[in-house]
Amino acid sequence: MNSQAEFVAALLDPERDCPADLKTWNGSDPAARFAVYRNNVLSSLIDALAASFPVVQQLVGETFFRAMAAVYVRHSPPRTRILADYGADFPAFIQGFAPAASLPYLADVARLELLRIRAYHAADAAPLDADALATALAAPERLASLLLRLQPALGLLDSAFAVVSLWAAHQGALTLAEVDLDQAQCALVLRNGLEVEVLGIRSGDAVLIQALLQGRPLGAATQLALACDPAFDLGACLAHLLRAGAITHCAYDTQRPLP
Amino acid sequence: MNTTASHTVVSAAALALALGAALAISSAPLTAQAADSEKCFGVALQGKNDCAAGPGTTCAGTSKIDYQGNAWKLVPKGTCEQTASPTSPTGFGQLEAFEEVKNS
Repeated sequence: MNSQAEFVAALLDPERDCPADLKTWNGSDPAARFAVYRNNVLSSLIDALAASFPVVQQLVGETFFRAMAAVYVRHSPPRTRILADYGADFPAFIQGFAPAASLPYLADVARLELLRIRAYHAADAAPLDADALATALAAPERLASLLLRLQPALGLLDSAFAVVSLWAAHQGALTLAEVDLDQAQCALVLRNGLEVEVLGIRSGDAVLIQALLQGRPLGAATQLALACDPAFDLGACLAHLLRAGAITHCAYDTQRPLP
Repeated sequence: MNTTASHTVVSAAALALALGAALAISSAPLTAQAADSEKCFGVALQGKNDCAAGPGTTCAGTSKIDYQGNAWKLVPKGTCEQTASPTSPTGFGQLEAFEEVKNS
């Protein structure tokens, strides 16, 4: 092990000794100085996770969160210098974290918070000009083959739990006692200007949006949505996306056959 | 010609109706949104750029060494206690299950 790898290993593992050959400028104990540095690395990364996953922290309390995050940080130190991206696999870690097993919804709450961060940092995309869709409307026979591209900030989460309500309860929009945890919910994350929004949507809406994201044309996407949710309302769903400025491009799917 | 269109159950008329309705509902607020916000560079997500929560900065607690231990026994103490749970005897008692985990 070279000295750098040894330093890194000791940084993440408190059981390891202070790396050999460390010197201090003022003659103080290198082990004590290294312990402070090791602690700061860990606590700053835990702070980063706490800033990114505030609702998860509220759900389990600060002490539990910090201890859980410390285990995660030691297993998954950052791979890039962009700390806003740190924690991409924190939800998966939570899912497999035995002490949190009695909060089965916790991982999905983390996934929702991650989608919010991604939305916040996603590229800007100007909403589609309303005229473009008005033009498309003038050729109704081609509407089924219309492709709609959605804003890069858009995120979807299909959860077996009431993630949207749970999240809303932590924004003061609901009380926790009102939340029926086992109600499956779909969350749609959008960015309107600089505001990241979390919306609860019907399963049909989620299917349509997912299909559009996969590049399916409007006709096929609508069919899928109706197959999943017979009460699916395409008009309401599109209005929602339009109002949020979430549709950014449209084009016709002329040559590509559907899978 | 798109051959798949002939298999489409959803009629062109239905799509047109839906899109027309969507345009009608949503036409007004589109431009208003753009006008009342402006880009502000250098303003980070709340808590991301100050010392207290600034990832990567070490100005907080330079001498703390309280996270060194990796043996910890904890029960989550957050808002989960107020969260309804049909599987819990009290209807809310998420903390019970964690105690079991701790003792096992």
